[in-house]
Amino acid sequence: MTSDRETNTQPPTSIKEDDAQKQDEAASNSEAPKTARKAPLKSGETARTHADLLIGGGLAAVYVGWLLATARSLGFSRDEGFYFTAAYEYKRWFALLFASPAKALDRANIDGIWSNNHEHPALMKSLFALSHTLFYEKWKVFADESTAFRFPGMLMMGLAIFVTYTFAAKAYSRRAGIVAAIALGLMPRVFYHAHLACFDVPIMAMWVTCIYVYWRAEREGGLSWALAAGLVYGLTLETKHNAWMLPAVFLPHALAVHGQAMSRAASRSSRIPIPTSLMAMATIGPGVFLLLWPWLWNDTLPRFQEYVNFHVHHEYYNIEFLGQTYFGPPSPRAYLPVMIAATVPTATLVLVLVGAADRGRALVRSGFSALSVAGGVFARPFAWVSSWPKSDRVQTDLLLFLAIGVALGPFLLPRTPIFGGTKHWITAYPLLAIVAGRGFDVVSTAVETLTAKYVKLDAVTLVALRIALVVLTFGGALATTVHSHPFGLSAYVPFAGGTAGGADLGLNRQFWGFTTQSLGPWLSEYAKPGDTLYFMDTAWSSWVRLIDEKRIPPWLRGVGSPADAELSIVHHEQHMNEVDYNIWTEYHSSTPAYVLTHDGVPIISLYRRTRLAQ
Amino acid sequence: MKKELLVWALAAVPLVGVAELALHVKQTTADVASDSDWRSARASVSADARTGDLVLFAPFWADPIGREFFGDELAGLAREARPDETRFARAFEVAVHGAHRAELDGWNKLSEKRVGKLAISLYANPAPVQVLTDVLALVTPARMSVSQVQNNAEVPCVWQRGPGQPGGLGVPQGPAVPGERFVCSSGTYVGVAVLHGLDHHPHSCVFASPPGNGGSLRIKVSGVAFGQSLHGHSGVQWLYERTPSLERIEVAFSAFGRPLGQNVHRVGSGWTGFEFPTPELAGKTGELTADVTGSGPRAYCFEFDTRSPAP
Repeated sequence: MTSDRETNTQPPTSIKEDDAQKQDEAASNSEAPKTARKAPLKSGETARTHADLLIGGGLAAVYVGWLLATARSLGFSRDEGFYFTAAYEYKRWFALLFASPAKALDRANIDGIWSNNHEHPALMKSLFALSHTLFYEKWKVFADESTAFRFPGMLMMGLAIFVTYTFAAKAYSRRAGIVAAIALGLMPRVFYHAHLACFDVPIMAMWVTCIYVYWRAEREGGLSWALAAGLVYGLTLETKHNAWMLPAVFLPHALAVHGQAMSRAASRSSRIPIPTSLMAMATIGPGVFLLLWPWLWNDTLPRFQEYVNFHVHHEYYNIEFLGQTYFGPPSPRAYLPVMIAATVPTATLVLVLVGAADRGRALVRSGFSALSVAGGVFARPFAWVSSWPKSDRVQTDLLLFLAIGVALGPFLLPRTPIFGGTKHWITAYPLLAIVAGRGFDVVSTAVETLTAKYVKLDAVTLVALRIALVVLTFGGALATTVHSHPFGLSAYVPFAGGTAGGADLGLNRQFWGFTTQSLGPWLSEYAKPGDTLYFMDTAWSSWVRLIDEKRIPPWLRGVGSPADAELSIVHHEQHMNEVDYNIWTEYHSSTPAYVLTHDGVPIISLYRRTRLAQ
Repeated sequence: MKKELLVWALAAVPLVGVAELALHVKQTTADVASDSDWRSARASVSADARTGDLVLFAPFWADPIGREFFGDELAGLAREARPDETRFARAFEVAVHGAHRAELDGWNKLSEKRVGKLAISLYANPAPVQVLTDVLALVTPARMSVSQVQNNAEVPCVWQRGPGQPGGLGVPQGPAVPGERFVCSSGTYVGVAVLHGLDHHPHSCVFASPPGNGGSLRIKVSGVAFGQSLHGHSGVQWLYERTPSLERIEVAFSAFGRPLGQNVHRVGSGWTGFEFPTPELAGKTGELTADVTGSGPRAYCFEFDTRSPAP
């Protein structure tokens, strides 16, 4: 389908005159005319599609396996605790629905159950509940309840890997697809969040899936992909509120792609033809959103307003950035770029820059081309580019850049809270990974060109060379990601100095209190049966699960204040120093019994009360 | 030529990944001080330390590990939650990654040695002092009395010894209410706790939030040995201090029937110092009164000592 793919077996002997130009040709070639689209798939194309399914599915399966293998060693975040509780509640409703549908649909039962954690839509929590029912209770696939709760989130990460691969493979090359999936999977923050029964990785997966399905709808035409776009957008809305920003991606893109046709149609018939996929998203999307969220079934408008208000007026939590704790607007504009640079592996970012330069150049060229063929006042000044290749009809590059820009843009605004760290713009990462994949295409082509000057590249050598390039490029990212576990939020990339570098720079060390579990070995050895422990930033429901699954000694009794505790902990965050100092006051000592560290950086201090002589 | 350079530059991109791996290996192995490094550092400092020496850990984020290994004897509350460094004649700085504490800028470096991955430096205070009386040691009913003054009437505050209130699971939670404290009729109290300062550092001090409504707290300390100056600090818990306001809290000191000085703390100014010369009182011992007034109950905290230059 693309000439890039053909280089899989045909080593280049020199850098193409203009690789981006070739890509444009590839992209426009992939936009086969409608008559060709309706023709049956050729056997080669079918085989390629099956191969893509296998590769994408394989990458996703390996990644989900990795997540499952490491799930037990990661403690529970605050939010997971709340979602565990919500999922238990929603399970009750699903059980009622199957046992007595009429009762389940009774307002009292709907409101009573679905009011739990109604600040977020129901899809993921419902999946957590169903997963628990099926994989823990019924089929006993997982030994831990928490793993069953977390499994849908992990599958969502698998979906993200699969779609990222497929999108990049179809848009650019299979090589770009594989590298994009690897780049996404080897981001320490993504690896951390992918374990959780939360919504950040799910919305990341749905964001890229929604964009991909819309792109396919634009490329393929027809009703089925358009309907799929509507359905997927509804599911995305039902995953997390980031989805409400997606129209800012689709509308400008649709205007860029269909603007001229719309304008012509409007002047002829006074009617503006709207792409079917957009119509589907505008109609089916909200329908799916409402249908899957029972809390909205009663008092729909006021409750929807409440949902909107919660997020529009969300409180600002404390978060440290460059040694200063922010707790309200204005948010620092440098937060997003610095945090991306400090947490996304540097090699990946360099590939993003290479890919962005390549595709940006193509995008500018296609823009000039469009202007030059548009005629009128633009024709003459841009006539000099009329010889350039016809641009990608569906403007893939523009779509990617819009999807990245809309995901990242709000975090450059001074009123946008930054307390979520990188997870709030995590939706951009699959798209950035795709651009990195394209960047790797460019880099790989350069290396192959240089190598070909000295060594004869046959197919086997070429494959070996490409594998070596991937290993060299992502070896650091792999090591960093593996090593970051289970302290993913404390990890910073080597060029930022690693975990210690993050501490030196005054970057947030953690949030959500999930590291409590990592005290398990010390507590098993030194805590006495019946000891009380003040568990600080860990949510009660997360603590209960830690105890229930014996991730920390079950003989410990959790308490809500150092005043009641024999053992007290503080999760090291700058604004939580007050907790540290309050424990000193209470215990008349500043000496921890144990400090949990990662690469020599304190994560948790644990104090034991010293009885003073009365 | 330009294109050739571009090709070479692109071909070098995988080396970024190689460099990343090399840095990662170094940062996670060679750069990390081991437990035995910390134990050796403690043994080294312990052998050389004199009573009254300060021990600091650099950078500040390494402080919990330092406290864990050095313990209360070398890095206890009095040193860790110090008002400032001026009262210490010497300071040991135990540093990872070549870090240095700005607090010791201007001090004279006497020696430096390496213990594993840690560097131990010994500094001398260029202007050492002798602390004669430290109010933090006197917050007991035997040496201190507290009363709430409202409309010229003094109501004694009662000494209590009970459970402290060090906060719950939520943050922010404000300062701990110490178990041992003077409790006043308005609900305010006077007691020693550790302040979370605007600089995020700990400072032991006397929490004494004024009762508001024009009232004040009167704190009398007996047996104060006066020196050349009265030296102190004031601050408000970070939670409140982080939002600057027009609020101000004043503490006025007097002794032997005459005023010594008045410190005004503006909310938002952080942990700030004050010093009032008292050469005419040097060598005398007597009662000192501190009157705390302000616009409302805040987590206000102050401390003071009397001092003279070291002999």
